Amino acid sequence: MARDFRSYMARRLLYTLITIFLILTFNFLLFRVMPGDPFRIMVPKGADDLTREHYMDHYGLDEPLIVQYFIYLGQTLTGHLGVSISKFPGSDVESILGPYLDNTLILAGLGTVLSIFVGVFLGRETAWRRGKMADRIGSAFFLVFYCMPTFLFALVLLMLFAHYIPEWPIRGSYGDEYFDLDLPGKLWDRTIHTVLPLFALVIETIATFSIITRSSLIDVLTEEYMVTAVAKGLRGRQVLRGHAMPNAMLPVVTVVAMNVGWIVSGSIMIEIIFSYRGLGVLTYEAVMAQDYPLVQAIFMLETIAVLIANFLADLMLFRLDPRLKV
Amino acid sequence: MKGESVGVPTAKFLLPPRYQEKLHLLAKSAKQIWKQFRKNRGGMVGLVTLVIFFTVAIFAPWLATHENPDSTSWASINPIYASPSLKFPFGTDYLGRDVYSLTLMGSRASLIVGVVASVISMVLGTLVGVFSGYYGKVADEILMRFTDFFLVIPWLPLMIVFVMLLGASFTNVIIVIGITSWPSTSRIVRAQVMSIKEHTFIERARCVGASDTRIVIKHILPNVVPLIFANTILLIANAIFSESFLAFFGLGDTQVISWGTMLEKAYNSGAFTSFAWWYIMAPGASILILIMAFYLIGDALDEILNPKLRRR
Repeated sequence: MARDFRSYMARRLLYTLITIFLILTFNFLLFRVMPGDPFRIMVPKGADDLTREHYMDHYGLDEPLIVQYFIYLGQTLTGHLGVSISKFPGSDVESILGPYLDNTLILAGLGTVLSIFVGVFLGRETAWRRGKMADRIGSAFFLVFYCMPTFLFALVLLMLFAHYIPEWPIRGSYGDEYFDLDLPGKLWDRTIHTVLPLFALVIETIATFSIITRSSLIDVLTEEYMVTAVAKGLRGRQVLRGHAMPNAMLPVVTVVAMNVGWIVSGSIMIEIIFSYRGLGVLTYEAVMAQDYPLVQAIFMLETIAVLIANFLADLMLFRLDPRLKV
Repeated sequence: MKGESVGVPTAKFLLPPRYQEKLHLLAKSAKQIWKQFRKNRGGMVGLVTLVIFFTVAIFAPWLATHENPDSTSWASINPIYASPSLKFPFGTDYLGRDVYSLTLMGSRASLIVGVVASVISMVLGTLVGVFSGYYGKVADEILMRFTDFFLVIPWLPLMIVFVMLLGASFTNVIIVIGITSWPSTSRIVRAQVMSIKEHTFIERARCVGASDTRIVIKHILPNVVPLIFANTILLIANAIFSESFLAFFGLGDTQVISWGTMLEKAYNSGAFTSFAWWYIMAPGASILILIMAFYLIGDALDEILNPKLRRR
């Protein structure tokens, strides 16, 4: 079994690495080939001849495309993600990203964990009470929040809080006097700034996970081995926990794995609305400032983050699904 | 033949007999689907809502109370941020424009983007799906890796990058939404084509000398079409959302009134701090209701056409 796991992991790892390589290639081609003039994209506007020369050397813009490609690969793999042209003119992109990445990881990480636990819990409880009042009300809510665009819900939330609880901080990832606070104060400040964005972020994924858990569990509960479990004297909750849930979890894990990318997309919307200083806000500001190298680097980071998350989900799926072990 | 021609009485005078037969069969299967669809309460609610939205979009210029709502000259005539009243059913915005008229006019952009973008991704997804499902082997392997690659890339950032590079015009937004949302369709189509391919009637067609093209067009596609249709309805909901988000992100066409650009203007003009809830609720609720309508219809069709193969 241990060997199976290792060879499975090696295969998935290889597949993930190949995809990362493809993404680097795609990312290069997208920004170099599509709009036609690489100078417009890689070199700051109104730069003098000396600066232009410097950038041309840096990216090898006067070399053939294939040479530029290898320069790009080499630079990316050694951690050089390009030079910002308009948002932070002249700074290396990799030195800008750090704090933004941290904030997004906090938001998206907490969001993923929270939506899995709450989503599965709600899905389980509604499925167990299927057809009853709690299930009907719950399912209606799931449907509305499943269809509700995340940014729309965030907008409504922002408006309500700004109007009814004006003291509540609705902007930024920390307050103005954050750096003067002691550690507990800092933690509290962070928490209170994260609650609203987090809530807005998870509501849709919670609905998605609840819907899939509910329908998967209802399928299982109507199987005949459920009758057997009851007939041999197990009480209701024991049947649910011991027999129904383990079998219902497989499609849930698959959907969760597919939705990790969605949480990244969702956090972009949420961050912009709450001015939460993560990659989403940076994407927005970079797009507004037409800072192509910065957008290119963020896009690559986001894509690779999703890939890694998918890889981890695959490993988890392997643990859960005995059929994959054969 | 005579008494059976369902719902298409004029067709038999206009069409040669073999098309008459085709049409007859098509009408018959459509009628069967409709019979099941009518029993699905969610689907019917969605359909009625959708008909209302389309009617409103078509007759928007006549239903709107202000002929040219998107004109800055209203600022001197109408009050700014007026709450809903008889004169302004949905209030006014930061320039004194009538939000009711704006919302009606905005429905057109959202529906056009939704339908056209989904048709683009439907065609792309179907081509890729049929090709890889029918030919299998190397073609399938390459196309499916390609599809997986696009499935993995988070599509919202991908759309943002595309629109940024191409420029934020109305046509570009439609094209970008279309070319970024086909992978799920191609997966579904591929699975269906692979199962149809194994039926004996395909083998029989091949035995009598039918070419691949003929088999695909005459025998495989007709069996995939209902599934594609259900999937496209779900794609429309996604496309409408995408348009509104891109517009909100500042990557919409500022010349076009859409619900997304309305929300963007509301956000940037401080409708939130002045608690102009009508300015947010009118486009916001319209987006939500329209997406729900498409979702309910798509879900109902999916249930009827595809009871075994669950989406996602």
